[in-house]
Amino acid sequence: MTTTMQALGAQAAGGAVDWERVLRRRSFLELDALTRAEALLDDGTTRVLCGPFDRLESPWLVPQDVTPQSDDGVVVARGTVAGAPAVVLSIEQAFQGGGIGEVSGAKISEALRLAARAPMPAVLLLETGGVRLQEANLGLNAVAEICAALLELRPLAPVIGVVAGSVGSFGGLSIATGLCTRVIVTPEARIGLNGPAVIEQEAGVEEFDAADHDLIWAVDGGVQRHRTGLADALVIDDAGALRDAVRDAVAAGVAPAGRHRSERLDVLDARLATVDPAAPPAPERLPSLWGGTYEPPTAQRRPEPDQAEPGSSGTRSSMRPSDRGRTWIAALAGAAPEPVIDSVLRADTADSTYLAVVPDPDNPWYRARQGQVGVTECAALARTIRAVVAQDDGRPQRRAIVAVVDLPSQAYGRIEEMTGLYQAIAAAVDAADAARVAGHPLVTLVVGQALSGGFLAHGLQASRILALDAPGVEIHAMHRQAAAKITRRTVEQLDQLARTIPPLSYDVRQWATLGFCDGLLPVSDADHPTDADVRGVAAAVRVAAHDARTGPTDLSRRLDSDQAKTVRKASRAVREALTAQWSTR
Amino acid sequence: MRTLHFTFPATVRAVRRAHVGVVGSGDLEVLFEPTADDVAVVRVRTSVEGFDEVWRSTLQRFFARTPVRGSWELNDAAATPALVTLRLQQAAHEAGPIEEAS
Repeated sequence: MTTTMQALGAQAAGGAVDWERVLRRRSFLELDALTRAEALLDDGTTRVLCGPFDRLESPWLVPQDVTPQSDDGVVVARGTVAGAPAVVLSIEQAFQGGGIGEVSGAKISEALRLAARAPMPAVLLLETGGVRLQEANLGLNAVAEICAALLELRPLAPVIGVVAGSVGSFGGLSIATGLCTRVIVTPEARIGLNGPAVIEQEAGVEEFDAADHDLIWAVDGGVQRHRTGLADALVIDDAGALRDAVRDAVAAGVAPAGRHRSERLDVLDARLATVDPAAPPAPERLPSLWGGTYEPPTAQRRPEPDQAEPGSSGTRSSMRPSDRGRTWIAALAGAAPEPVIDSVLRADTADSTYLAVVPDPDNPWYRARQGQVGVTECAALARTIRAVVAQDDGRPQRRAIVAVVDLPSQAYGRIEEMTGLYQAIAAAVDAADAARVAGHPLVTLVVGQALSGGFLAHGLQASRILALDAPGVEIHAMHRQAAAKITRRTVEQLDQLARTIPPLSYDVRQWATLGFCDGLLPVSDADHPTDADVRGVAAAVRVAAHDARTGPTDLSRRLDSDQAKTVRKASRAVREALTAQWSTR
Repeated sequence: MRTLHFTFPATVRAVRRAHVGVVGSGDLEVLFEPTADDVAVVRVRTSVEGFDEVWRSTLQRFFARTPVRGSWELNDAAATPALVTLRLQQAAHEAGPIEEAS
């Protein structure tokens, strides 16, 4: 009964069933992207920008035999919320599962940037499976740009995330959910970094049974996220109720600096300390363990375990640990790095701090043993970067922060999702963005794999990105096998398509044509670099850091580079059209 | 993906453009823009191959009853003929009021 009534939206968080409400409600879930946006804005005020007749469709789908949509699945709607100007960015979940491609991503990031110019609140309707794999690297970069643009607006006007439900908020954009000023959910909502099916595929059914509906909602569901303080408002599936919640959230204004979830490293650390991955609490225990507000939990001790320890199958992974991160951070810093935690290394020179996420075979978070970026890695990265920024406050020149990147992905695990991996990655992204905005040159050096959410957490917020031009250097939205499976292709078909469609390619030389590569560095041996290799790369990192000091502190270079002018024409067209339509028409 | 082009005679004038539907599984979007010529020019982009004749007969039936002049763009994700007809009707309705061309 409870579940049914929650599904009907008549009963939130164990309250009494409101039959009146059931009968007169207007389901928000049944609406498409445009009517969802209209339902949240004041009646008759909606003005759609870059709509279907502007025909800003994806240039990458037709060559892959996929039918495009005329607005690429994102509605940008200006209007008013309780009489004051606002913009709603609504993702159409029926088109490509709400997947973010080049154009749809640029619509969101450019709208957020325009909203920041003459500050107005933004409402994000985040029903999305994440990066659209047909546009892989352009989608991944779009997510990084959306996060940076969101963080540009957030101190000036509230950014409200709404996850009403059906597809849920998954993949890269779940990180944006974790950056929002406030988050509104319904009981039908789900928020998570990795969806249950991808976790089952990567880690096995013992780790996450994607057919177990109750488990999915217990881990990712709107009620759970609200009860554990990861969402601010839980409302029923009713257009009027959602509009009221959005008005309240907007009226509450901006949050003070340091008070956003993604800035609360004290809470993140304290919460993670209550969870022993070898003996984790059941999801239903989390609300009492953590509390319903995003504050440090009062529980001192780890609770008695009530989930089974993983068998040997629970720790299996298709990902292979690599030593490149460890090798290169030591070589570049010229000194043995210090562990922040065993899987996050730090090395300091006079003018730079180097950071790398590395494999740790004894990582208690057993889904992150091959070098994946998991919850504790994000917390360690965020803490270190925040400390560097604080130490350099008031100094004439801020240190360069160099991300040495060789990571097979983010961690795919049930406990990671339960504890909110997306929120932890948001903390790492927020810290990196804050360092860049404060004036630290942020340089990323890809020495091996840089895949998916792992790269979003560690590397993709940089002002300069360099990569070794060597075998084994791979930058992508998802590893080959999974990407092939999700796009219903064979690995061979995927490789074939990637030869003509640069954003799909796993070849770093193709990636380097997309407009956000600041240097492809040839080395004789990426695994065992020679002295000459190290000297050459170190010099390139120094130059990149130097250049970053005089460049913009946002990510606009990625759209203004010479290569972007040809490859990212579609993104640039979005920027031009949105700017032209923003205030006039 | 397959791209198909059709032209049908058309006599009815529409006053505004129209957009309906989404390119979601089993659905399609229709973009309509009025033109002055006595034809309906149709472009179909569909994810499903091998249904050219079904498209021809579905569109022929629709434009025989509703000969609205203009450019019609259909972006299809495997909609049934019944849904195609429904979306075309919705677009024609949204594009109205429709008058006979003099």
